[in-house]
This record gives sequence, structure tokens and C-alpha cells, in this order.
Amino acid sequence: MNCSGISRISVLVGLLIAAAVVVAVVALIGIDVTGQKGSGLGSEFSYDLEQMGKIDPALILYQESAESISTGFERARAIAVGPGDKVYVAGDKAIRVFERAGALAGEIPLADAPTSLTVTAEGTIYAGVGDHVKVCELAGNRSASWPGLGEKAVLTSIAVVGSDVYVADARNRVIIRYDKSGKLINRIGQKDRQRGIGGFVIPSPNFDLAVADDGLLRVVNPGKHRIEAYTPEGDLEFWWGKFSMKVEGFCGCCNPMNFAMLADGSFVTSEKGLTRVKIYDPQGKFVGVVAGPQQLLGHGDSSVCKTVAECQQGSFDVAVDSAGRILVLDTLRNEVRIFVKKKSSS
Amino acid sequence: MAENNSDMNRREFLKTGAGTACLAGLGGLAWLAGGKKSKSHTVWQLDPHVCVSCGNCANYCVLEVSAVKCVHAFAVCGYCNLCTGFLSPDPVTLDSGAENELCPTGAIKRTFIEDPYYEYTIDESLCIGCGKCVKGCNAFGNGSLFLQVRHDRCLNCNECSIALACPSGAFKRVPAENPYLLKDVSHS
Repeated sequence: MNCSGISRISVLVGLLIAAAVVVAVVALIGIDVTGQKGSGLGSEFSYDLEQMGKIDPALILYQESAESISTGFERARAIAVGPGDKVYVAGDKAIRVFERAGALAGEIPLADAPTSLTVTAEGTIYAGVGDHVKVCELAGNRSASWPGLGEKAVLTSIAVVGSDVYVADARNRVIIRYDKSGKLINRIGQKDRQRGIGGFVIPSPNFDLAVADDGLLRVVNPGKHRIEAYTPEGDLEFWWGKFSMKVEGFCGCCNPMNFAMLADGSFVTSEKGLTRVKIYDPQGKFVGVVAGPQQLLGHGDSSVCKTVAECQQGSFDVAVDSAGRILVLDTLRNEVRIFVKKKSSS
Repeated sequence: MAENNSDMNRREFLKTGAGTACLAGLGGLAWLAGGKKSKSHTVWQLDPHVCVSCGNCANYCVLEVSAVKCVHAFAVCGYCNLCTGFLSPDPVTLDSGAENELCPTGAIKRTFIEDPYYEYTIDESLCIGCGKCVKGCNAFGNGSLFLQVRHDRCLNCNECSIALACPSGAFKRVPAENPYLLKDVSHS
């Protein structure tokens, strides 16, 4: 082989090596080591939660005010407002009481983790602890534990009106009505076809109740996406609420998770999934939004839960004080976040 | 004498050679076994509590159909009629009509239990591991649906293509003795 033949082969080999290097570099650049380029799957394989979480700003009637109250709990569970607008928060193995402005006013240690809480106008605290109700006062004058409802009971809400104490047991899907001495009077909401009661559908331990000024009990039936009204004797009177991913309805498998009542009988509801707190009038007509996912989860432009923890712990309890402020117990940050009506919407 | 010496040398040479070959063979086998053992000591798995159901598992696996499949923790499930892992976000009706189903391959089957409860099972032969149902269940339900690497399919590549593309770092190596990271009621 002559010299010119050898040099031609060398050039060819050189070109091939150069081409291989270019291909390798392009391939390396093309590798998506962050996963941010997406799966490459078609739209039928994607689930756009972001879009669902968007709320028309004109519907948001409240704004977050002042500084939030840090509860100091690792796992805050329930919130209630007591006399003097003191804020009571149950979490870990205690109940902490905060002044309206947020200063810690006291703490009641408990033997077990509380799961629900209410405070009467006199300052008596009723808490669901384990399978029983514990009655106590911040001053520590008296304390009582009612008989347990069995180890399977999960007490998710308590309301006191007159001489009655209503306790929601999510595991057994029933409301238990006691008198103030802890004597069981009757059970409400169990499936009863003759009385036209379909029963509560409670897929997760979120089952809230309150007593309205009309004397009727309001109970969330989360699996049916509605709030039902019962007499103290257990007759189902009426209900409102519907499933919808749109802001007017209750989203997901089971919502609302929690609710509170404003002085005019309106409802403040809290949903998980699309974490949003909304207002409905006493008849259940949608009024507006207190805060949506964007305000509550605070991902900037992102507006929905991302991690399992965010999605599963994002069922925020709500309470209302005498000034109409809405207190949201953020169970992800373990803070009480306070929302007040915007001047433009009042 | 010279011949005798030569015979002895050949015999010795053969003996020594055979012994060395046997030792080398055994050593090689031991090395292979050791190497295989250390390779299979851990396997790839994805942590369902870190997973964000991005969909990358479906497309980044070197297999034609991903080794990642949806699995169901029945103890965590709410058995909802309106299952957000099974139904599209705004279903026309709450039934198994194709237009209402969320899964693009129809891999989730539902069975009536009692009013208003349904049981949901995964047909793994249809599941491609896109995680769409997982996203719906996590966001709106109890989070009972989750993704796992199925070890009857996974090739246990040294450098897993899905792990490289996982945006949340959910992929990790776990002991082969406990190859699955399952959910239970304590996680719900």
C-alpha cells in the first residue's frame, strides 16, 4: 500500500472517530438524569392537578393576616376557640391554649394523643383521647374521663350544646349523644332504611360535626360529599353538598374533611386533595373562598399537594372566633393561620 | 537418565498444571458466585412515600413494558364508590364505563362489595406503571395505590434507567431479602 492510501485510511478512521465522539456527546446531553423532561407519555397518561387547583382570584374573599401561631406540636390535630377568643389546639399528647394574639397561655398534658376538641362558653374543655372523652379545664379545677367506647373508636369531633355532648366516632361511623355527666343517651346516623338514613361513608378518619343555632346537628358525610342535618333524636332532616372538582363542590373521594360555623349560620369548610377552605351560606349555597391550595400550600405558582405526606396530612381543621376571623390549623406546618375578610369583599 | 528425568518433569508438569487449573477453576467459580451474590444482595425498589407519580417509570425502563407496576394496599383503601384512583376527575357517571375510567389501559378492575363500597384490584398484565391512578389516589383518596418494582420482571440493572430519571429520588437499592417497600395502615 502506498503512502497516499495509508493517509486516506487515517483520514477515514479519524472522521469515524470524530463522528462517534459527536454521537456520544449528543447522546449524553440527551440523557434526562433529572427526570424533569417528563415521561414522554401522551396526555391521556397524565393527571393535571395543577390546573384543577387554580381558583379565580375574584372568588377569594379572605386574606391571611397577622402572624400565624406556632403550636410547637410535632403533630397538631384539632383546633377550637374558647371564651375571650382564646385559641385551643390539641396535638401530640397535650392541649395548648393561646391568647388571641398568639402568646401561650397554658398547657394541659394528656396521657394519650388527643384527636378532637371543643371548648364551652364557660371554658370547659372536651377532648377525644383514645377511645374516650376527657373533660377538663385550663385552671385544672376538675378533670374526668368518660367510659371508653372500645379500642376501635376514633373520636374525630365533639360538640356541646345545652346539656348534650355529641361525639363523632369515625371508625364506627356513628354520632354518640351523651349528657354532660357522660351518660350515653342515643346513637345517631346508623344505617336505617325505615328512617331513610343511608349511613355515613367515612373512608378516612375525618368526620366532623357542629350544632347550628336552629338546634339541629350538622354532620359531614364525607363519602357522600355533603353536610347532613339531624335532630337530637337522630332523624335525618335535610342535607346539602355535591361532588365536583370545580370550586363550588366538594372534590375527591371524600370531602369536606372539617367545617366550622360562622355567627350568621354560614359554613366554613375545609377540603383535602385540592386543599381549600371555602364559605357556604346557611342553605349550602357556595359563597366564596377563604384560601385555596396556592395560599395554603404555598408552592408559589404550584398549587397542589406533591408528596404523600402533603396529600394525606393536608386535611386542615378550622375554627371561627367572635370577630369572624377564620383560624386554619395547618397540620403540615403545625401552625394556626389566621384569615380575615378582605375589605373589598365585606 | 535423561529420558527418566524428562518423564518425571512431564508428570510433575502435568500434575502441577492440573492442580493449578483446578485451583484456578474453583477460584473462578468462587469469584463468580461471590460476584453474583454481591450483585443480587440488593435490588432496586421505589419508596412510595417519596414517589411523586411523575410517569417516568412507564417510559424509562429498559424493558418494553416497565417492571414497575401499581400495587394496592387493601388495608389502607376506603373502598369508595367515587374512587379517585379509578375514576377520571369529573366522571360522567360513577361506573366502569371507559369514558369514566382514569387508567389509560383499563388495568384497574372494580368489584361491588356492598352499598356503597367497591373493591379495586390491578390487572398487572395491563398496567404499564404510569402512576396516573397513584396520583389520583394520593391526592384525593387514602393513598392506597402505589408503585413498586416487580422483581419477577426487573432485570436489576447495575444502573437503573428509571432511577436516573426519577425526579424525586424515590428509587433506591434495598436488601434482596426484603425487596418491596409496602404501605400499611400506619402510613395512611
